[in-house]
Amino acid sequence: MADGKIRVLMSKPGIDGHWRGGIVISRALRDAGMELIFGGFQNVEQCVESAIQEDVDVIGLSIHSGAHFAYVKRLLDLIEEKGLTDQFMLLVGGVIPARDFSELKKMGVANVYGPGTMTKDVVEFIKENIKK
Amino acid sequence: MWEKEYLEKISKAKLEWEEKFKNSKERDGKFETDSEIPIKRLYTPLDVKGDYLDKVNFPGRAPYTRGIYPTMYRGRVWTMRLFSGHGTPEETNKRWKFLYDNGETGFSAAVDALTFNGIDPTNPDGSPEVGTSGVPLYCIDSLFALTEDIPIDKISVALVVEPFTSAPVCSMYFNMAKMRGYDIKNLVGTTQNDILTMTVGYIPYKNVAPNHLLRLACDFIEWTVAMKNVPKWHPINFTGYNYREGGIDAVQELGFVFASACSHIDNLIERGWKVDDFVGRLAFHLAAHKDFFEEIAKFRAARRIWYKLMTDRYESKDERNHGFRFHIQTAGSSLTAQTPLVNIIRTAIQGLEATIGGCQSLHTNSYDEAICLPSEEAALIALRTQQVLSDETRITNTVDPLAGSYYVEWLTDEIEERVWKYIEKIEKVGNIAKALSTGFLYKEMRDAFHRRQARIEKGEEIMLGVNKYAVPYDEVTDVFRTNKEAVKIEQERIRKLKERRDNAKLERILDDLRKVCEKEENVMPVIMEATKEGATVGEICDIYREIWGIWDPPLAI
Repeated sequence: MADGKIRVLMSKPGIDGHWRGGIVISRALRDAGMELIFGGFQNVEQCVESAIQEDVDVIGLSIHSGAHFAYVKRLLDLIEEKGLTDQFMLLVGGVIPARDFSELKKMGVANVYGPGTMTKDVVEFIKENIKK
Repeated sequence: MWEKEYLEKISKAKLEWEEKFKNSKERDGKFETDSEIPIKRLYTPLDVKGDYLDKVNFPGRAPYTRGIYPTMYRGRVWTMRLFSGHGTPEETNKRWKFLYDNGETGFSAAVDALTFNGIDPTNPDGSPEVGTSGVPLYCIDSLFALTEDIPIDKISVALVVEPFTSAPVCSMYFNMAKMRGYDIKNLVGTTQNDILTMTVGYIPYKNVAPNHLLRLACDFIEWTVAMKNVPKWHPINFTGYNYREGGIDAVQELGFVFASACSHIDNLIERGWKVDDFVGRLAFHLAAHKDFFEEIAKFRAARRIWYKLMTDRYESKDERNHGFRFHIQTAGSSLTAQTPLVNIIRTAIQGLEATIGGCQSLHTNSYDEAICLPSEEAALIALRTQQVLSDETRITNTVDPLAGSYYVEWLTDEIEERVWKYIEKIEKVGNIAKALSTGFLYKEMRDAFHRRQARIEKGEEIMLGVNKYAVPYDEVTDVFRTNKEAVKIEQERIRKLKERRDNAKLERILDDLRKVCEKEENVMPVIMEATKEGATVGEICDIYREIWGIWDPPLAI
């Protein structure tokens, strides 16, 4: 992007409506100078389509339903199918047990944020890993 | 409450005291409640205004500040009702029986996201979430399985579904009860049926617009209570808890529930009912949050406000209808995934607030709340926490033990005054449907999210293990996992039901429902027929969507 801003899509896969986490992180990223696209509820097809159209660097998934493995797998499969592997940094946040973090990272998630996350940690991680 | 002369004497003595100790240092930092009400070092009789009999009075007497029954817990202790549901109806039934055998005295069904949103398990958008955040209740067979061998004529059941699915899910429950031979006129229980839970508490997935949700909620109140089909049911439970959890404060919590309650009462009055035809069955569900005295004062203020609304605004004549009945849930958002055993202590203190505050029914959270659905062990500890309060502490010996505390009486007044102002602020926007559709309540929630997060990040609100004595979020805690096979089990349940039912007959009933929806008549009679014939929650909600359209909430970032 011409303005050099990091672009982030915040998406809620599935149908669970816990929305505080996604909003809090969205605002923090926007306040940190990133371009934030709030996708709201999106199935994985809609999520990938938005990510392509908006030319984002980061996809953030907000998942509080306990179904994180299922949605992350669906999304990564679709990204691979479309030949977009490594095109986006994938971050996942929500009520996610600590013991699931390493498995999610093995699947291809860059970082996972559980309960009690400080927003500055998310901002720092993105800025350190995406150079624009 | 004191003679003027005596107050002058106290006032003089207080000035002397202040003068003498003016150099005594206080810690840095703000002394204020969670709702940012500034708190003085000391409260004295000078802070307590008004007449005892007018403002406080006896329990069971207007304005009910001290409690809605004359004996309170000396008559009967609160109902111990754990919000519970996971995997499948059969597994939830097992958990319910386990808790019942351990002394639980009421049930509360936590449903999954598909049941909340009227999505059948065959829909791929939601299928990974079958049973992950509550029990799946998609058809009448599920209600039979949920309550198998449970004496539903003797123990009350709370069905936690909101206006979008309260008619289908509760009609399944009523039909199931009838088929099991119970007279639904005697059934006791509660439907949450709270418009704000699935709009601002959680965001709705493909639900309908707030004006329709308000009407659906009122259809349910009208059919059960006003028309006396299920007259002992609590057809609505205004659930401040769910939005308080987002970060709004105690004052806003009461403002939201009272503004919402008034919109429902107004709707039913517009339908031609008198307030006393239904209002005695309306109930409330609040949070017991982190600020000990503020929460107790909040419960006391709530009773007084409701009494005034009933008598001043609605001119209710029947004094049995003036009591503010409420269920309490301790604050899930106060719990941490870090060092989770500390959550047991937090929950016990919040349970103490609730019971000193005179709740009718209580859910205490499990210590693994911040991580997963409750394990059996964690749920049992949560139940035992209530039993420690009821059986070991002797707090049940007397009613409203903090009455007369200068601080608590002052704070009760202060909260009441602020709540009236906040109700006015909401009502300026319009009724509760309008406050939603204009985005007003979404902005209030959004601001609350950011305020709370900022307070935590700045260390103004302390969460031990997170922003003080912080520890890594580690892998120590056992994680309760819901049944991975639930989706297959529930899809199979629906498949069998569809094979068994008379699909042609059901189609005709669903066509009738379309007409009822178009004319905006009460949906309950036809939905009672439909679910009896095997209609699923998803099928009924699809008709709502087809006739009224899907609503996209005006979220604010």
